[in-house]
Amino acid sequence: MIPVLAQSAQPFFRWSYLIDEWDQIQAALLQHLQLTVLSVAAGLVLSAMLAATALRYRWTTTPITSFTGILYTLPSVALFALLAPVFGTQAVATAVIPLTMFTLLILVTNIIAGFQSVPGPVKDAANGMGLTPTARVLTVELPLASPLILAGIRIATVSTIGLVTVAGIIGQGGLGRLIFDGLNRRFDTPTIIGAVFSILLALLMDALLLAASRAATPWTRRARA
Amino acid sequence: MDVTLAQAALPREISLSEFLFSAELWTRDDGILDTLVDTAVLCGAVVLAATLVAVPLAAYLAHHGRGEIAVTWMVTLSRAVPTLAVAALLVPVSLRIGLGFEPWPIFIALLLLALPQIYINTYAAIRGADRGVVGAARGMGLTESAVLWRVEAALAGAVIMTSIRVAAVQVIATEPLRAFLGGDGLGRYVRDGLGQNSPSQIVGGTILIGLFAASTALAFRGAERLALPRGVTRLSSNAT
Repeated sequence: MIPVLAQSAQPFFRWSYLIDEWDQIQAALLQHLQLTVLSVAAGLVLSAMLAATALRYRWTTTPITSFTGILYTLPSVALFALLAPVFGTQAVATAVIPLTMFTLLILVTNIIAGFQSVPGPVKDAANGMGLTPTARVLTVELPLASPLILAGIRIATVSTIGLVTVAGIIGQGGLGRLIFDGLNRRFDTPTIIGAVFSILLALLMDALLLAASRAATPWTRRARA
Repeated sequence: MDVTLAQAALPREISLSEFLFSAELWTRDDGILDTLVDTAVLCGAVVLAATLVAVPLAAYLAHHGRGEIAVTWMVTLSRAVPTLAVAALLVPVSLRIGLGFEPWPIFIALLLLALPQIYINTYAAIRGADRGVVGAARGMGLTESAVLWRVEAALAGAVIMTSIRVAAVQVIATEPLRAFLGGDGLGRYVRDGLGQNSPSQIVGGTILIGLFAASTALAFRGAERLALPRGVTRLSSNAT
């Protein structure tokens, strides 16, 4: 490994690190993406169920949204630390469970808002055309709700990329591990790489998902123009 | 991490009730009470600074219908820029210019967390103030600044105060990161518990953070009740 240098002799950023330790950076990036995808996917499944319950049984809407709201305000550091003794620091669940919990607020809110944005007359027309409730939800309501749902997925993904770094405190966290590795060794380069790459990854995913959701819902652009 | 931290660390096999209810642990030098005050001062300074910058600026620009684009930037900023990455990036900078690990990196990162939300909500609330009421105020001969501060700000007050409360709770929930960035604050118990494999310290620290966040939220709700004009409270309670 790289010897720890005295603070004064250390350059702010060691460019050679990018080449020498590229394998490590690549592994960190990959783990970062894996944790993000797993958490958002799990969050999406849970949110779909919660939102379906909220939409089906109106009285559950307030409890469900306030519950996800409370989850969102839990301190991320504490959640990772609390689960570490339960599952072990290196278990994927220790990182993914808190990250999933944080996605719920955004996803549930947007799924509910998406389905509520479907105009009543459209639903009436679908019923009048003889669609079964399942067919109506899947072929009429879901596409109309999709712009808001896709926006929710985008926001949840971008904020999860930021939060994954916090899992670095338990030795996971993809790029977050580089951040803490650098801080613990008083070696700035990995810290800077971890921080900058995670910000770039968030911005990149934001742009990619925005482009993808625009491509998937072309009518939203036509309506605006 | 540091020698000073090792001295202050608690015994590994401490029980949860010992941790939470020992008077000695609370009142000693650098004990829980000092740590709580330390956290409260940092979080309070962040929220105060965010409010003092965001509210007047957003209110002024919203009143004049300017700076709509800044809101879009703020929305992106608040979502895409992760607090930890910002703080971690600032630590080497801060060390290099001789400001040490603390508190500037975490202060700026938390400020970037709190400020956009307060700004976005203030802007939207002032823009959303009932145009009829604002028109009536103008008709009554109020000056422009009186329209802004006595009418629009009063109408937007509830939303602005809610956004400050939400930001404060998020700042408190995020501040424990500081303990992992060479600082202290309530997160130190989570950090030490993790390092010593002592679940009671992790749980105890989490309870302290949670209680601090919850009581802050309650205090804000109380302040909202006291500060808002009764008419506005009635208006918003009718609306919901």
